[in-house]
Amino acid sequence: MINLRDKGAELWEGWNRPTRATFVIATIGVVALLPFAAEFGPTSFLNTPITSFQNVLVYPIGMFVLMALGLNIVVGKSGLLDLGYVAFFAIGAYTQAIMSTTLGWNTWEIMPFGIFFAMLSGLLLGLPALRLRGDYLAIITLGFGEIVRIIALNLTSTGGPNGIAGIPEPPAIFGLKFDLMHNQNYFWLVLTMILLVVWMVRRFTIRRPGRAWEAIRQDEDVASLMGINTLVYKLWAFSIGAAIGGAAGVLYASKVMVIAPDMFKFEVSVLILACVVFGGIGNIWGVITGAAILAYLPERIRFISNSRQLMFGFVLIVMMNLRPDGLLPRKKREKLKGVN
Amino acid sequence: MVDKILELKDVTIKFGGVSALNKVNFHVNKGEICALIGPNGAGKTTVFNVVTGVYPVTSGEIFFNGKSLTGMKKHHITKMGIARTFQNVRLFGEMTTVENVITASDVHKGSGVIGALFGTPRNRREEKASKARAHELLDFMGIGHRADQLAKNLPYGDQRRLEIARAMGTEPQLILLDEPAAGFNPAEKVALAATIKKIRDSGYTVLLIEHDMSLIMGISDRVAVLDFGEKIADDLPHIIQQDPRVIEAYLGVPADAS
Repeated sequence: MINLRDKGAELWEGWNRPTRATFVIATIGVVALLPFAAEFGPTSFLNTPITSFQNVLVYPIGMFVLMALGLNIVVGKSGLLDLGYVAFFAIGAYTQAIMSTTLGWNTWEIMPFGIFFAMLSGLLLGLPALRLRGDYLAIITLGFGEIVRIIALNLTSTGGPNGIAGIPEPPAIFGLKFDLMHNQNYFWLVLTMILLVVWMVRRFTIRRPGRAWEAIRQDEDVASLMGINTLVYKLWAFSIGAAIGGAAGVLYASKVMVIAPDMFKFEVSVLILACVVFGGIGNIWGVITGAAILAYLPERIRFISNSRQLMFGFVLIVMMNLRPDGLLPRKKREKLKGVN
Repeated sequence: MVDKILELKDVTIKFGGVSALNKVNFHVNKGEICALIGPNGAGKTTVFNVVTGVYPVTSGEIFFNGKSLTGMKKHHITKMGIARTFQNVRLFGEMTTVENVITASDVHKGSGVIGALFGTPRNRREEKASKARAHELLDFMGIGHRADQLAKNLPYGDQRRLEIARAMGTEPQLILLDEPAAGFNPAEKVALAATIKKIRDSGYTVLLIEHDMSLIMGISDRVAVLDFGEKIADDLPHIIQQDPRVIEAYLGVPADAS
């Protein structure tokens, strides 16, 4: 199989700063134009039947990419298996729903609170749970995901099984309106958030936190013997991942305007995890590609209705057999410069 | 009077009914190379594990620079100035050689997650300094040319050298070397002996576990002998060599003797 990751990295390393900057800006530009791809002749094949393409770009694609990037910090960077990631998404969404309908605040004002509450819950869950490893941690997080959903299902303040309706849309910023007619604005908003997260993850990766997470993933005992406070760094990974999930939740709630416990089932956690593994666990470009494909594919083949999920499963099985490490696997390339 | 950098007082460790260490009294003086020898299963690596906080002591106490290490977390002990290598190499294989050392040097940094996110001046300064220091240490161990290779792809000997470089990356006062010469050929052993002396001369204290007697006798200032979890001797190398209990522990006694 061709090695896309190495080819890409080779090309990138061969470029100087201006070339790189041009490439980055051009890529962002092309991606930003995606909402118009469905009406543009040569790319109209991308259009999704039944659901509007612009809608699909925001949810599931944008949201999945965002959440997969968040989960990747936990699962990919630090090697902590989290099967209840949807809980943080739900906490963000309910924060937005409850605060906007009762306090009348807008999305931008609630966003910091959504992120804060998600982080806090990540911390509270992590403090006892992160003393465990591997399978045990996975089971605890799985339980947590269910607990959050069941609480939302039973509390009156969360509207029980009916959920919360009438969540206001975000107010306009820079003249960009956020309503049903302006889905591209939502997409640009999600894209901005994704870029922020990518920027953040890249910073972490090459500095102290990234090394600490990498060390913990590879050998936790040695990591602590080399002076890494493993609990603290695992908590950071957990709460940063949670914060991203929470931010996605806040935005999701104000986009769909109605939320219910049904939207935060275990399947979502699994699907996000599948995005991470499918794309290439630990590699942000892989994760982005994987999440985009896995979110887009079921919408694109909606016309085959019932066999849609079958096809989806089939693609997953074939792909994971051909490329078990994901589309763009991690594995750092070695620079052999200076070695005979 | 020399300062004791490390002191074990009546240290006992029991795993179930088996005592791995039994009332061991032992110390390391500041600035010396101290060797810990003994037959397989004598408890040498257990001493390392208990000093670095991997196992809690069942009874007794350990002091580092006069401070008790009881109940301290592993990373805290490392931060205080004790670093170690592992008998069976345990590097971060998926990281490059230089990253392995930088990761260890992170222990003394003041800036963490927030600093890294915003790229504070302090964070930048620390990152730069630790990178330079890591390359220095790699050069010191003679593996500078391997800096950008993945640790798992290094030849065996270089992996062992990297283990030492990584331990030194934590800027310790005391370095615990667990069989650093295992698998080395005679020429490599000579080079390693010189390196360990150089480490001592640069101000570190070294406690090492080794099986190669000529290496130990050549570089150690003092030798302690463990057998079945008990210290049976502790003296200058040439006296240890003559000690009947040590010879007995290593070679056994003939059936008709005594």
